[in-house]
Amino acid sequence: MNFLDLAPLAVVLPIFGAGAAFLVRRRIKLQRLITIGILCVTLVLEAGMLAAVWGGESYAVHIGGWQSPWGISLMVDGFSAFMLLISTVVSLAVLFYATSQGLADGDEPGPVSVFHPAYLILLAGVSNAFLAADLFNLYVGFEILLTASYVLLTLGATAERIRAGTTYVVVSVVSSVIFLMGIAMTYAATGTVNMADLAVKLPQLDTGPQLILHVLLLIAFGIKAAVFPLSLWLPDSYPTAPAPVTAVFAGLLTKVGVYAIVRTETLLFPGGAVNAGLLVVAALTMVIGILGAIAQTDFKRMLSFTLTSHIGYLIFGVAVGGELAIAATIYYVGHHIIVQTSLFMVAGLIERRAGSANVTRLGSLAKLSPALSLLFFIPAINLGGIPPFSGFLGKFGLLHAAAQDADALTWVVIGAGLLTSLLTLLAIIRVWARMFWRRAADAEIPNPELVDEAAKVADQTAAGGAQAPHLGLKLARELEAAALPWGMRYATGSLVVAGIALTVFAGPIFEFCQRVAAQLIAHEPYINAILNY
Amino acid sequence: MLIILSALFATALLCPLLFRVLKRNAFYVVAVVPAMGFIWLLTKLPAVLASDQSLASGAPNAPPSISIDWIPGLNIGLNFRMDTLSATILLLILGVGALVLFYCARYFKNDDPQIGGFAAKMVAFAGAMTGLVTADDVIVMFIFWEITSVLSYLLIGFSQALITARRSAMTALIITTFGGLVMLAGILMLGASAGSYQLSEILAASGQLVELGASTDVAVALIIVGALSKSALVPFHFWLPGAMAAPTPVSAYLHAAAMVKAGVYLIARLAPGFAETSLWVPMTVGIGLATMLIGGFRALKQYDLKLILAFGTVSQLGFIIAIFGLGTPDAAFAALALTLAHGLFKATLFLSVGIIDHNTGTRDIRKLTGLRRAMPILTTAAGIAAASMAGLPLLLGFVAKEAVYESALHLDAAWGPFALAAMVLGAALTMAYSLRFFFGAFGVKKYKVDPLACKPPTLIFLTPLLVLSTLTLVFGLFPYPVELLSKHWSEAQGGAPDMHLAAFAGFNAALGLSAISVGVGLFFYWIRRRTDTGAPLRRMVTSAEELYRMSVNVLDMAAIWITGRTQRGSLSFYLGVILSVVLILPLGIALAVETPWPSNWVVADHPAQIIIGAIIIAGCVISIAAPKRFMAVLMVSVTGYGMVAIFALQGAPDLALTQLLVETIVLVSFVLALRALPKRLWVGLTRIKWGRALLAIALAVMVVYIAIAMMASREQAPISLQWPELAYYEGFGKNIVNVALVDMRVWDTFGEITVLAAAATGVASLIFAGRGFGRRVRAHQVAPGSIDSGSEAMGATAEKEVELRIARRFAVSSNQDWLMAGNTLVAERRSIIFEVVTRLMFHTVLIMSVYTLLAGHNTPGGGFAGGLIAGLALTIRYLAGGRIELSESMRIAPGMLIGGGIALAGLSGIMPLFAGDEIFTTYAWEFWLPVFGEHKFVTSTIFDIGVYLVVLGLVQDVLRSLGSEIDLLSEGRSPIEQHDTIQASQTGVGR
Repeated sequence: MNFLDLAPLAVVLPIFGAGAAFLVRRRIKLQRLITIGILCVTLVLEAGMLAAVWGGESYAVHIGGWQSPWGISLMVDGFSAFMLLISTVVSLAVLFYATSQGLADGDEPGPVSVFHPAYLILLAGVSNAFLAADLFNLYVGFEILLTASYVLLTLGATAERIRAGTTYVVVSVVSSVIFLMGIAMTYAATGTVNMADLAVKLPQLDTGPQLILHVLLLIAFGIKAAVFPLSLWLPDSYPTAPAPVTAVFAGLLTKVGVYAIVRTETLLFPGGAVNAGLLVVAALTMVIGILGAIAQTDFKRMLSFTLTSHIGYLIFGVAVGGELAIAATIYYVGHHIIVQTSLFMVAGLIERRAGSANVTRLGSLAKLSPALSLLFFIPAINLGGIPPFSGFLGKFGLLHAAAQDADALTWVVIGAGLLTSLLTLLAIIRVWARMFWRRAADAEIPNPELVDEAAKVADQTAAGGAQAPHLGLKLARELEAAALPWGMRYATGSLVVAGIALTVFAGPIFEFCQRVAAQLIAHEPYINAILNY
Repeated sequence: MLIILSALFATALLCPLLFRVLKRNAFYVVAVVPAMGFIWLLTKLPAVLASDQSLASGAPNAPPSISIDWIPGLNIGLNFRMDTLSATILLLILGVGALVLFYCARYFKNDDPQIGGFAAKMVAFAGAMTGLVTADDVIVMFIFWEITSVLSYLLIGFSQALITARRSAMTALIITTFGGLVMLAGILMLGASAGSYQLSEILAASGQLVELGASTDVAVALIIVGALSKSALVPFHFWLPGAMAAPTPVSAYLHAAAMVKAGVYLIARLAPGFAETSLWVPMTVGIGLATMLIGGFRALKQYDLKLILAFGTVSQLGFIIAIFGLGTPDAAFAALALTLAHGLFKATLFLSVGIIDHNTGTRDIRKLTGLRRAMPILTTAAGIAAASMAGLPLLLGFVAKEAVYESALHLDAAWGPFALAAMVLGAALTMAYSLRFFFGAFGVKKYKVDPLACKPPTLIFLTPLLVLSTLTLVFGLFPYPVELLSKHWSEAQGGAPDMHLAAFAGFNAALGLSAISVGVGLFFYWIRRRTDTGAPLRRMVTSAEELYRMSVNVLDMAAIWITGRTQRGSLSFYLGVILSVVLILPLGIALAVETPWPSNWVVADHPAQIIIGAIIIAGCVISIAAPKRFMAVLMVSVTGYGMVAIFALQGAPDLALTQLLVETIVLVSFVLALRALPKRLWVGLTRIKWGRALLAIALAVMVVYIAIAMMASREQAPISLQWPELAYYEGFGKNIVNVALVDMRVWDTFGEITVLAAAATGVASLIFAGRGFGRRVRAHQVAPGSIDSGSEAMGATAEKEVELRIARRFAVSSNQDWLMAGNTLVAERRSIIFEVVTRLMFHTVLIMSVYTLLAGHNTPGGGFAGGLIAGLALTIRYLAGGRIELSESMRIAPGMLIGGGIALAGLSGIMPLFAGDEIFTTYAWEFWLPVFGEHKFVTSTIFDIGVYLVVLGLVQDVLRSLGSEIDLLSEGRSPIEQHDTIQASQTGVGR
């Protein structure tokens, strides 16, 4: 038996954990222990999987020993293993964050105990979607993660969350119906839903049916990935959820859509029949998304817009196609997951520290919350595309790939990409200037508590004088430590460090992405592994 | 090189600690690092000067270089190369950097807690500049380029509480990043044409690149935009005066000596290769000289010493870039000298303004007077620097400017004389504002000025200025060291070896031009003094700054407008957009590309299909038009039951059975949930709804069309044809559907039961929102006849009165407990027949459900159907006996069933792994049992039991949430209150 035969455990373990969490429903500590333990084991497993396919191997696991295309196979290759590992890293960090928050707030039995099983199920769905080598099983993966996400989004069932949840659930269900329709049509035309089998049979169809199936699936994935104009629902749904939930949604859910797009574009529909259209869509996604971000005053809402906006870069990479562009897309996916999650976690910290994440209410945070400032600033400028961080490297990779033999349209989209980068920086720097630099008293709607604390810190600084100028800073640190449990800070910090690691190890990681891209484009490795040719 | 670089960044990290211990004196320690770098560079200088600049890195006698792989996939390497240009600018950066840090030790006060961070940023900045000027990889250069922008942002925003500081910092960042990104586009274009991002390789290939024509022209122009924005040339110049909000050491270092030199460096770097491109001269020489004039003119209008210097810097940067832009070896020679001269005198001047500001509290030349007497040493140092800036003889500024005139005189372009004239005029303005600066700062004012409290600066505070002004003087008299550097750089571009810098080169044309500019400058200064009213002059044209503000405003408005148009917050709008896309794209394809169409049509396999179809459609239409929710739900389930009929007709009993059960459970849950919602639906076919109807119908037609076309295009046999055989021989079952569910596609089923688990959790989480589930209530804890949810809905007509009376009597007289908690309901809710039937059927149905579960592998049924049947049994118990009956009939919490089911299913999947088989492998054992006979046990049954449990748990959960909990709500008491009373009544009763 090959080690990679354990790959399905990446899905089974979290589900098993969810079952266990249900069984100990009233014992929150045990639940927490189970969840963290399961995720740690899963992380180790996935790290092993990634190591096993790092060199460019493709390995198919046939569930129950049923051969494709009759049974269901899972695909472990560089792409899926990379996505699995990064999503587990992110969810583990968010879990620590949520746990620490829960510990600080004193968990209540009841709905909070819903969190752990739902969280594990969400993760199982995400992992299943990454591993699926069967179009219908991909749909199942989506269903798992979506259903769990419905639960998490409406946690606590406040009016605001129900309202946001309604938009989210209805749109998601519609997208699922479209996806299902796409699968049904695909089966109608080819008689199979196994992706390797499809990769063989789809090209045998006429252009018309091929294009229609292509477009149907793209629309279904496009809604999930939040591609303009299918993205409008996202900023209305994500920000109202609890901070850890939004963080993990922002990191993972849209990327599952992107993953599906990259997979199907390279495997099922090579040839780039719709690439010109995707280019236009990518540019619109980027620019309209970022304009939305500029128009926001609520930091969480703003982040939802940067989230959709930067999905545009990924679509751009897909539309450019070719090994380099796909490699850069994969690298950028990794970056995007980590940076968006860490920023949403920071948004949660800000809410906790200052009572709100609305820019109009905040100020003085640089002086009041030194650790938070650092935790905000690094991922923020990373998002803003400032080198040498991964946001820049990924963007550069995409633009570099696009610039090779670019036509006029591509140059326009490159311009849109650069403009988006600038506007992202503008949006994020404005938030920084107002939330962190400005005096709390100068805020549009000053928060009396913050103003008070800022005054206290200033007094301390003055009292310390030349002998002990750090007294104020000390007080600020104490206030911060009181408001933000260390677990939340360190969980956020660890993701920020993970983001920096993407820069430091950019060389080997990008080389790996190139191997993965080559493998995706060649697509024989995939077909051979699944169909045992 | 890497050592300096890493030492600088490492120092930056150590800064907070150092300052904690040493307070402001830590600046002295920190200053040592760039100073050491400076000395190291001096020792390397002979090697640099001995090397041949034109050689590729790595060749013998090429300039020192280092290269480390970073991201080979993107052709990005940490490649550094130290040629004369890099070394010269680096000397300036490290030297001035060390002096400025030294100066900071007395500029800042001990009680400022921010200085640790400040010093860290300054040192990091020195590091970034070091990287920028030595990087041979243009992307690495760009990385450092942007790092300097961010550090500059943080340093300008030092006084973070002031809105001007924040705004200027942001303007500087946005403008330089804008330029940077434009430059990046240029780099990408150039890199794509050259096939490399190595500066040395790109420059070596510049000949071929220039021949490409337009694409290289555009690329170079874009790169120049980056340089212009960084060096604050028109039209980007306005960020620099704004940046004066920074503490003065920052202005001295970043905005005079170092960062703004990045643009100069880039132009100098590219000039040898790309001066021939079509936009080069207009963009460097043209804009440079225009900037020189505009900057000089505006400097004359300022009253703030720092702003005079800021506009002066803008002017001088324009000048330097214009000279480098000329692209000749002579010009390179002169411009490099000018760059050094500028760095030395401008840093001195800024530092002296810092001292003035620090010791008097103002920088306004209308308030300063008599400083000459109070600060003689400062006056001398600043005087030397100002004279050098003005281009007065014996100083480095003069020497460099002579060389510039010399090179400009030898231009053979048609525009040469115009450029020369602009330079002379610019120099005259420089003379004028130098005077304005010097006399403004140190002169005695004729008009009455309030006396200033002013203490003379200490010598240690003055030391950096003295060093800088001494260098200005010494190099002015003995320019040989500067000449050495300039000449080596110029020779690399084919410059003549006989060029010289001299304090006095004889009476030549250049000297004449200098004399003219000094004279005209004096005249300008005289006019300005005569017309100076002390009030700021009004601007005559819309400034670039206003343009910037306007465009930011327009951007904000556009953002709000577009976001308002797209983010409507309306679900139906979002759905409309999505569905329109689903409609339009395939429609477009269908119209544009030919799609197959079936040749033979079968309208229906069975006449009943037509009737069922009609009923389904009718159900749909009625459900949309239904005025009440209940009706709508009922009609939706008509479509579901229609599907049951179709499945049954097609010979799919399994699907029909499952669909029937699902439909029933769904209907029950709907009806239960409806009790909490208003009865009526808003209806009425308005205009908008017609639009929706149109979209819906079009979409439906579209889907049908696609389905037909897809089925018509199938050529391969479907994989399902092999399923019967596989199911029987390898899945050990005759029921293909069940084998598919629990074996062949068990992975899907495993996922789907997880979906059910999540859904159950979600329902409970929504209904029990924040309240907790409470403890199970036993029948004996509740008074008989006390539970009356929903009875008030019956109304109180006379007829009902009679019914009620009968019912009540029945309830009281009946001592027959058919159900465990039937008597907890109020009389009017009870029904004897229902209770008896429930009593009779419940266990039968449960047994049937278990049979369905176990027999499913070979006959219709399975865990899913079995679970649903058991769930229905439970539903009946609940409907007959109310919420207490439900909790009595199922003493296990739904969470346990669901959790147990999932765990069991998961375990059944994992077990084969221990046998070394694939996950979810199925085994079969044949055995013989008395009475039952020959039997075959298939392990997938264990999985199916898991499914059964999950489904049952889900139904129980739905009943408890949508049933019991809504009952509690409608009983008029808040559930929390209810919960409390139950707990109170339960005191002493164990769990």
